[in-house]
Amino acid sequence: MIIAEQKPLDEIKSMIADYQKVLILGCGTCVTICFAGGEKEVGALASALRMATRLDGQNKEFIEATVQRQCEYEFNEEVADLIEEADVVLSLACGIGVQTMNEQFPNKLTLPGLNTAFLGQPVEQGVWDERCQACGDCVLYLTGGICPIARCSKSLLNGPCGGSQNGKCEVNPEIDCAWQLIYDRLQALDRLDLMMEVKPAKDWSTSRDGGPRKIVREDLRLTFVEEKQS
Amino acid sequence: MKHDEPPPVISPAEEASPPCQVACPLHTDVRGYVAAIARGDFEEGYAIAREPNPLIYVCSHVCAHPCEEECRRNQVDEPVSIAALKRFVAERHDLSLGHGPSKPAVEPKNQRVAIIGAGPAGLTAAYDLARMGYPVTIFEALPEPGGMLRVGLPKYRLPREIIDIDIKGILEAGVELKTNVRIGQDLTISELKAQGYEAIFIGIGAQQSRTLRIEGMDLDGVLLGVDFLRDVNQGKPVKLGKKVLVIGGGNVAVDVARSAVRVGNLGDEREVHMICLECREEMPAHEWEIIEAQREGIVLHPSLGPNRILGRDGKVVGLETIVCESVFDSEGRFNPSFVCNTESVIEGDTVILAIGQASDLSFIHPEDGIELTPRRTIKVDPDTLATTAPGIFAGGEVISGPGSVVGSMALGRRAAISIDAYLRGENLAKLRFAEPQKLGELPQKTVEKIKPLIREPMPLLPLEERAFNYREVELGYTPAMAMRAAHRCLTCGGGAYVDTGKCAACLTCVRVCPYDVPVIKDGAAFIDPTQCQACGVCASECPAKAITMKLYSEDQLYQEIEALFATAPASNPEPFIVGFCCLYCAYAGDEWAESVRAQLPPNVRTLDVFCTSRIDIQHLLRAFELGADGVFVAGCVGEECRHTDKAVNRIQGKVQFVKEVLNQVGLGGDRLALYNIPSAEWGTVPRIAQEMAERVRTLGTNPL
Repeated sequence: MIIAEQKPLDEIKSMIADYQKVLILGCGTCVTICFAGGEKEVGALASALRMATRLDGQNKEFIEATVQRQCEYEFNEEVADLIEEADVVLSLACGIGVQTMNEQFPNKLTLPGLNTAFLGQPVEQGVWDERCQACGDCVLYLTGGICPIARCSKSLLNGPCGGSQNGKCEVNPEIDCAWQLIYDRLQALDRLDLMMEVKPAKDWSTSRDGGPRKIVREDLRLTFVEEKQS
Repeated sequence: MKHDEPPPVISPAEEASPPCQVACPLHTDVRGYVAAIARGDFEEGYAIAREPNPLIYVCSHVCAHPCEEECRRNQVDEPVSIAALKRFVAERHDLSLGHGPSKPAVEPKNQRVAIIGAGPAGLTAAYDLARMGYPVTIFEALPEPGGMLRVGLPKYRLPREIIDIDIKGILEAGVELKTNVRIGQDLTISELKAQGYEAIFIGIGAQQSRTLRIEGMDLDGVLLGVDFLRDVNQGKPVKLGKKVLVIGGGNVAVDVARSAVRVGNLGDEREVHMICLECREEMPAHEWEIIEAQREGIVLHPSLGPNRILGRDGKVVGLETIVCESVFDSEGRFNPSFVCNTESVIEGDTVILAIGQASDLSFIHPEDGIELTPRRTIKVDPDTLATTAPGIFAGGEVISGPGSVVGSMALGRRAAISIDAYLRGENLAKLRFAEPQKLGELPQKTVEKIKPLIREPMPLLPLEERAFNYREVELGYTPAMAMRAAHRCLTCGGGAYVDTGKCAACLTCVRVCPYDVPVIKDGAAFIDPTQCQACGVCASECPAKAITMKLYSEDQLYQEIEALFATAPASNPEPFIVGFCCLYCAYAGDEWAESVRAQLPPNVRTLDVFCTSRIDIQHLLRAFELGADGVFVAGCVGEECRHTDKAVNRIQGKVQFVKEVLNQVGLGGDRLALYNIPSAEWGTVPRIAQEMAERVRTLGTNPL
């Protein structure tokens, strides 16, 4: 899922400096689960901002709301009146939610309260690790289910590199060497043969390199039948 | 009084209720009042306990408390001392605030209702009907109301001024009382109807002693239990010898025996014996009554049947008994069997029969159309309590046979609901009463995780000060004792509930629960109310705010924080310090409840919470937002936690988070501190508050 974290309070304060009435809008999905932008976080941030802005001698008003998924028009529509009422929206959704809001409510600016960080896994309560880079051409079947694109600092397809030391990455001793993990896993599966194959250069056009991506499923589109008939 | 609703209708509960509440014939919100006591809100406790119970003072002394038998703490150690807690709130209640809930705003009705008998059933029916707006008149044969409460129960169990308190409250609700009117003698049922009473409730109780058909019943010195108790209770002279033999093993027999000990204040000069068919283990009297009887020197002779009463010169000289080997036959019917040639004699000069009671139904005439049962009780529809005569209802022991006070009250209440329906012209056949659904037993895996806690012992009148007088034996709890006793409540069913619409299935509750209760079911968290121990850690951690505590919710704590500031001293040079205190830890000893808390200076205010696990980050932030100069959280040291270390540890993370927010806000994280205080050291809290105040002084006052 999408992992995000709240921006520093000072940055948020400067973003909202010119606005009087701020709607803090949470999202009930990924960012709730990663404790960045759910209803609890909306309340805590509102409390912190009320205090911080009052200490700065301002008298701002903060409205709190949380929708189920901010990346969908229908859910945001449920709080349209609050959006209307506010001078600005401070979104605690991921970047997708922030953009959806800006697109859906062109007359109202929606600001990002979070930094959207990565696609990751909650590995224990309070700890999230990056797991996927959305390259658009999954290679996990070649690597024992461990992603070299997201988890190797260099995204090497034929690792490890010389910077692998005692199972750790030279970039940061906190980072596990993905290729060590892949090797250990394949060995345990008795599939080290997979490592003997040299992987050719990856076609990155399915990733960001091909420009913004889009998936269209004509069969699911509600205009599908009409188009076929015409 | 806060509670203005009419008496609750016994109706199906939306969800399973705690076993104590289901066991109570009046379905008293036991969990609710115990929780109020646990928080030190004794008047709220009284209001909750009083709401369904117009005889709360009486019940607080003599209720058979079936709630305790059902208490789920029995599965862990001993039941919560519910009966003692009810007595505690009743005794502390300030009667100048009123007896009970103020009368609901109902339209006065003009259909008059007659109630025959001012015992528990009649009083309850009258009270309920009066609150529904009906003009109600009780007709009582004796000079004073109360029925068996006044003439049956001994004074050492139920002081008479206690009865008077409740009766006063009932009469103040608008009930008219006519004493010294014996229906059947002074007035008949048809005359009542002729006087314009459109509905009649019969609640005359069971006031006749059953007798035995054995030789010697006519001897001088043979007394009937109910008559004996009535005479003793009414202060009439009673002729009692020095060796009294009480026949019977039930609660009335124990009352008779313990009263016989006290009559005439003869001390050791009188022996009292109890003879009963049942073996010691099967004696029907409450165990605690039997134990007290033995402590008072009463000699038990179980497994013996009375064969004949022996006499000389027309006077009792003894009782011939025969060994009883079983009381009931294989089909469970009363059918004692005796062992041949086991006759023996217990000498005595007085024999009192206390083998059961029946109703005197001689006032019912054929033309009344009221049918009776073969058991000599009034025949009623078991749901509506309607007799076979239209407009005439019956309840209490006249339909059930000898039972409990609270059981009779519940029947009075049910009859009141039926009478109301009848008078409103509803079809009684459609009126059905469903019992609430009971929360299931604790699963064994949960039982193993619950810490045993010692049941707070009831202080008793010392034995040497007790025998041969009518002073009440149980002395009652102090506030500290009551709170400790209430803290043992498992808050069954009052714990966490999930709003599945908001749940993001983040698994936080699954991970933080000290009792491993939450699971993911159908894509959302599910917290089984049968297992939840209401620690609150899941609700305070849930990032979606999808979990709410049913009893003492997060919102209630917000409201209390707001209320605390609403009454804060307006201008005080001292820093304003707010303390969130775990009440389980704080009140584990007497010090906090009895002296320390009251001695805190006005600039230090504390909020009691059910374990620090209930506090969430927003609660702490709110206190600062409202202007607290400093906030401390006082909880236990891990091993003392009522729940587990898992619950204690969570508050550390929250405090750390809020300190960081305070730093970012610019207030300074040092204004917040967490203290882990062993239960024996709660006397140090004023010093901790002082420390906080000193630290805060260097940071300056909260400018908010």
